[in-house]
Amino acid sequence: MAKFRKAFSTKILAEIITFVALATALSFVTFTILPQGGSVTAGSMVPILWLSLRRGAKIGLFTGALYGVVQLVVMPYAYNPAQVLFDYPFAFGCLGLAGFFKKWPTFGVVVGTTGRFVMHFISGVVWFAPMFAPDLDPFVYSAGYNASYMLPEMVISVVIIYLLQKSKALNIYL
Amino acid sequence: MSIFDGLKFRKVHSPIHNLDPRMKFIYVIALFVSAILFGQIIPLLALFVLQLPFVLLARVQRQWLRSLRGAAFLAVFIFVINVVTRFFYSGYVLTGADWEYSTAMSLRFMVLVESFSVFFLTTSPDHLGLALEQTRVPYEFSFAFTTAVRFVPVLAEEAQTIMDAQKARGLEMEKGNFMKRIRNYIPVLIPLIVSAIRRSLELAEAMESRAWGATKKRTNLYALKLHRGDFALLALTVGILAVSIYVYLFIPVPTLVQLL
Repeated sequence: MAKFRKAFSTKILAEIITFVALATALSFVTFTILPQGGSVTAGSMVPILWLSLRRGAKIGLFTGALYGVVQLVVMPYAYNPAQVLFDYPFAFGCLGLAGFFKKWPTFGVVVGTTGRFVMHFISGVVWFAPMFAPDLDPFVYSAGYNASYMLPEMVISVVIIYLLQKSKALNIYL
Repeated sequence: MSIFDGLKFRKVHSPIHNLDPRMKFIYVIALFVSAILFGQIIPLLALFVLQLPFVLLARVQRQWLRSLRGAAFLAVFIFVINVVTRFFYSGYVLTGADWEYSTAMSLRFMVLVESFSVFFLTTSPDHLGLALEQTRVPYEFSFAFTTAVRFVPVLAEEAQTIMDAQKARGLEMEKGNFMKRIRNYIPVLIPLIVSAIRRSLELAEAMESRAWGATKKRTNLYALKLHRGDFALLALTVGILAVSIYVYLFIPVPTLVQLL
C-alpha cells in the first residue's frame, strides 16, 4: 500500500479544524453589527492569527480561507459571486499573512488584519458603494465603513496576541 | 447560542433526508441567488414560505424554529441599523419605503440563513463528505470543512462554560474601559485555547486510529446515485431560478407601499 502524501500531518489538520471552529464560535460574541456585514467581535480573528503565528504562513493561509468559507455558511452577506470570493475566502485568508512574521507577532497581526481590510476595501469600492451609497465617493465610503469595524478588531487582536505571547501561550503543545 | 442549533444534525429518515446532497446544495444555491436578486418584500416572502414544506416534510420544525429565533436577533439588528442609516441619509425623514427596505433586508438575511440551515439540518456529515468527494473536492478540504462546521456548537458551549466559570470566580467582563475589558478577556481566552489544543490532539488521535489518509484513493461503501426525488428537486430548482430571473428581468416587482 503506497503511503499517501498529505499536504498536512494529521495533527496539524486537527488543529486547523479545531481553531476554525473556535474562531467561528467566538465570532458570534459580537458588540456591534453593521448593516452590510462586518462586526466587532470578541477577538474572533485571534485563533486564526494565533495558528498562523504558531505554524507559519502556508497553514495560516489555508486556515484563513477555510474560516472564510465557514463564515459564509453561518453568516452570509452575499450580493455577487465575485464579491463573495473577495469578502470571504480572500479576506480571511489574508489573516494567514501573519505567519510570515513569526519573530514579530504584533507586527504580523497588523499585516494580517491590514490584508483583510484591503480585501474588504476592494469589495466595498467595487460592489457595495454603487449599491448602498451612490452619492458618496466610493473610496471614502469603503474605507470609512470597513475601518469602522476593522480598526477596533485590529486593536483587540494586537493587544490579545501581545498579551498571549507575553504569557508564552503561543507555543504550547507544539 | 441558539443560532448553532441550525448546524446540528439529527438522524431521521424522511423524503428530504434521503435526497442527494448535491441536488440539495444546488437548490440552496438557487435560493441564494434568487434572494440576492430581489430587494422587495413580496418575492423574499415567497422564497421564505417556499422553504416551509421542506421543513415540515423533513420533520425538523423544532430545531428550525430554534435557529430561526437565533437568526431573528441578528435580523432585528440589521433592521434597526438600516433604518438608522436611511434616516440620516434621506435627510431626517422616514418614508414607508425606508421601513419596507429595511424589513426586506432583514428578511433577505433570514432567507439566506434558513436555506443553509435547512440544508445542514437534513444532510448528515457523512453524506455531505461523500458528495464533496464525488465532486472531486480534495478530501482534506472537504473533511476539514464538514468537521469544522460540526465542531462549532461544541466549542461555543465550551466558551460559554469557561466564561461562566471565570465569572463565578469574580472576573468582571462587562465593566471598565476598553483596555481593561480586553485584559479581562485573557483569562477566558487562554483556557479556551488550551482546551481547543487538547481537543485537537484528541481529534488527531481519533483520525489516526481510523487510518486517516493511509491510502491514496479512498473508497466508499456507498456511492451516491440520483433517484426520482432528486430529479424532481432539480426540476423545482430550475423552475425557481427561471421564474425569479424572468421576474427580475421583465416584471417590475411592486413594493408594498406602491400597492397600498
